[in-house]
Amino acid sequence: MAGTIEPIGLGEPRPVNVADLEAELSALWRSAAEDPAAENAVTRACTLTVLIYVESDEAAYDVTSLVAEVTRQNPCRAIIMMLEPEAASSGIEAWVSAHCHLPVAGEKQVCSEQITIRARGESGQGLPSVVLPLTVSGLPIFLWWRAGSFSPPPYFDEILRVTQHVIVDTARFSPGSGYLQDLAAWVHRFSGKVQLTDLNWNRITPWRQLIAQCFDSPERRPYLDRLSEVRIEYELDSARLVTQRAQGLLLAGWLASRLGWKFLRSERQNESHPRTFFFKSDFGTVKVARNLKRVDNACGVCFTIELTAEGTPPARFSFSRGPDGKVVKTLAEVPDAPPIGRSVRLEVLDEVEILNEELKMGVRDRLYEEALTVVARMIAS
Amino acid sequence: MVIFGASGDLTKRKLIPALFYLTRERMLPAGFSVIGCARTPATDESFREEMGQAVKKYLKLSPESDAFVESFGKGIYYIAADFSDPAAYEQLKTLLDRLDRERGTSGNRLFYLATPPSFFPVIVKCLGAAGLAKAKFPGESWTRIIIEKPFGRDLASARELNRVVTEVFNEEQVYRIDHYLGKETVQNLLVFRYANGIFEPFWNRRYIEHVQLSVAEDLGVENRGSYYEEAGLLRDMIQNHVTQLLSLVTMEPPAIFDATSVRDEKAKVLRAIRPLSPEQIDEFAVRGQYTEGWVGGKKVPAYRAESKVSPTSTTETYAAIKFYIDNWRWADVPFYLRSGKRLAKRVSEIAIQFRRVPHLLFKGAGADGIEPNVLSVNVQPNEGISLRICAKLPGATMQIRPVQMEFRYGESFGAPPPTAYETLLLDCMLGDATLFNRSDAVEISWELVDPILDHWRDQGPKGLATYPAGSWGPAEADTLIERDGRQWHRV
Repeated sequence: MAGTIEPIGLGEPRPVNVADLEAELSALWRSAAEDPAAENAVTRACTLTVLIYVESDEAAYDVTSLVAEVTRQNPCRAIIMMLEPEAASSGIEAWVSAHCHLPVAGEKQVCSEQITIRARGESGQGLPSVVLPLTVSGLPIFLWWRAGSFSPPPYFDEILRVTQHVIVDTARFSPGSGYLQDLAAWVHRFSGKVQLTDLNWNRITPWRQLIAQCFDSPERRPYLDRLSEVRIEYELDSARLVTQRAQGLLLAGWLASRLGWKFLRSERQNESHPRTFFFKSDFGTVKVARNLKRVDNACGVCFTIELTAEGTPPARFSFSRGPDGKVVKTLAEVPDAPPIGRSVRLEVLDEVEILNEELKMGVRDRLYEEALTVVARMIAS
Repeated sequence: MVIFGASGDLTKRKLIPALFYLTRERMLPAGFSVIGCARTPATDESFREEMGQAVKKYLKLSPESDAFVESFGKGIYYIAADFSDPAAYEQLKTLLDRLDRERGTSGNRLFYLATPPSFFPVIVKCLGAAGLAKAKFPGESWTRIIIEKPFGRDLASARELNRVVTEVFNEEQVYRIDHYLGKETVQNLLVFRYANGIFEPFWNRRYIEHVQLSVAEDLGVENRGSYYEEAGLLRDMIQNHVTQLLSLVTMEPPAIFDATSVRDEKAKVLRAIRPLSPEQIDEFAVRGQYTEGWVGGKKVPAYRAESKVSPTSTTETYAAIKFYIDNWRWADVPFYLRSGKRLAKRVSEIAIQFRRVPHLLFKGAGADGIEPNVLSVNVQPNEGISLRICAKLPGATMQIRPVQMEFRYGESFGAPPPTAYETLLLDCMLGDATLFNRSDAVEISWELVDPILDHWRDQGPKGLATYPAGSWGPAEADTLIERDGRQWHRV
């Protein structure tokens, strides 16, 4: 039976001298091969290097369990990086461990390495000099930025210079900051050199598919050109607020970039109300309004996007998700036709599943980059 | 074996540990003896003690080895001498004759020049004048000389040194050492190419798109600032190590595996390298110097702040060069060479990138994962060979991912390979010069780098790029290769 096994011969990650990291990793594999307690032989597997940036010990602990899962589908050398720039003392500490699993009973365990590095104080600037030599030659490098904003310090440029893919999660970003603008600026700076992926963008992929499907038929297609209003409604006072706020913006950015809308301006009713954005389409002005709604689970809806197309009467297309996040109700109301509603079950992936998808794909997502560029303009207005 | 410059680091770190290893493995005769020769005052006893400590330290021996170290030490002697003093050579001759009688060394002599290069001509001439350059018992004993790098500091000085050396010794007696050639993987490169039927047919311009040679060091100049100020990276690494690696990768198959045939082929391909004209140098070569940075988590100073280095130095600590080889096999295939100090890690690698498939069969997402095959020969530190191939990711969709097929010496054979000095010292004693440089190859490689050195000297600080210590070199080096639509292979 397949199952995860604790780090070989270690139980807990083993602290090691930074200068001896490579030698310690070799020793780790030798000891694993010679461990008489091991029921099965061990084979090391590695198809990529995953650098993971986290902001605290707790986050490193959390991510370790995720890495154990990720390595089942994406065997890799995982390097967890922690920076504590405010620490009183300087220094770099490192630990090594391994994640093993048994794909087939009786066969070899397949193991991946994990290196955890914590840099305190001024030594943070030296973190890349420890990490870079540990990346596996000739294989892709992913940087998974699992933090409250994407703001790599300048000395991370050496890491970004060799990284092919950066994975962020805007659902984790702190609200109220210019994080999406920063992200868009970063994409522009590294355009074509580093591919950026957002786990939150992956989460709205089913939504984008549903919206696109709604206009698949030739009869519906003209409504897209006549869209005059987009209303996005998401939860107030919810743990999902940050996720949904970013999702709403990304969906608006996606629609605008795909349909060729030009951003005009934004308006805000008051400080507690999200801004409304205005675009220019070939047809006229498009208003993108966002509403925050206190959600009572009983009401059954926690995220809605509604598209209105100009006409007499206007056509409306709405997509609403319930609090369990698994079912979306769609409703299409077009003139001279009965309303058509349906319920669609969404495939909801957890963080590990989304990450595994991204690690496998590893391709440049131009749609995301273009949507993000629009979002940056919206926020900056 | 007589080591001139025996008080230096090379003797302690490399030569004596290598000789100890060869003795312990019973590859040297029982009476094998070492005479250390240097200006530093010392006695036989103090030198033995110092060498014994060095063996224990650098070979990480356990206390159980003490008796063997002591026994090895009994064959070690020391002469404190001025290298230009004829009397010292008379003293040396007397000691050598005594060792022939007492330890049965049979008149065989191996002189090792581990001194600063300025002493090479002096020692060679003095050995000749003292009658030590000729075989003591012609036809029955041998006399050889190993000369450490750098062999000259430009073409003119290399020619002059060759002239001085060959006035005293025959070319067959001269072993110009480049320790890179003694590394197991370098030798294995020849086995790889000529003992495997599948590779040689692809080893040409038709299948190989380009080749990269990277020799990176994470160390700075340490306490060799004054030497480095005179030498620079191009002389210290490219002219010798990197050029030698290049010749082994690109040479034609020799008719037989002996010193003459192999060295003939190496010289032949070196002659085919297209020299850079002064107008081409700025386009084909980049030089850099490291600034302050971080290496291995520690802050390190800029080159100009190193001990015995001028604060306005324009000495290069990094170089990247593109060469072409004008012959039937390699026409139009670029060879990118790079080497530097204070780079991100210590690694030497030859990366041979093959041409892409002629037609992309896998469209869409799968095609993005298709990368050209790369054969990587890792010379150090993890000696081995790996081949990057594309493989389908398990699953229903067609996703393609590069993966590595790896051979590592340490893992495949279970024992670390011998060090380069062990290999080369033994080869020299056995009279096998295959892995040593011949005078013509040395001069050709100087012919290649001389125009670059001249151009950079004339330019002064203009065009000297900088890079932070601990990085992969200056951005200008990236531009050099990116202009051709390629990237440095990540090592």
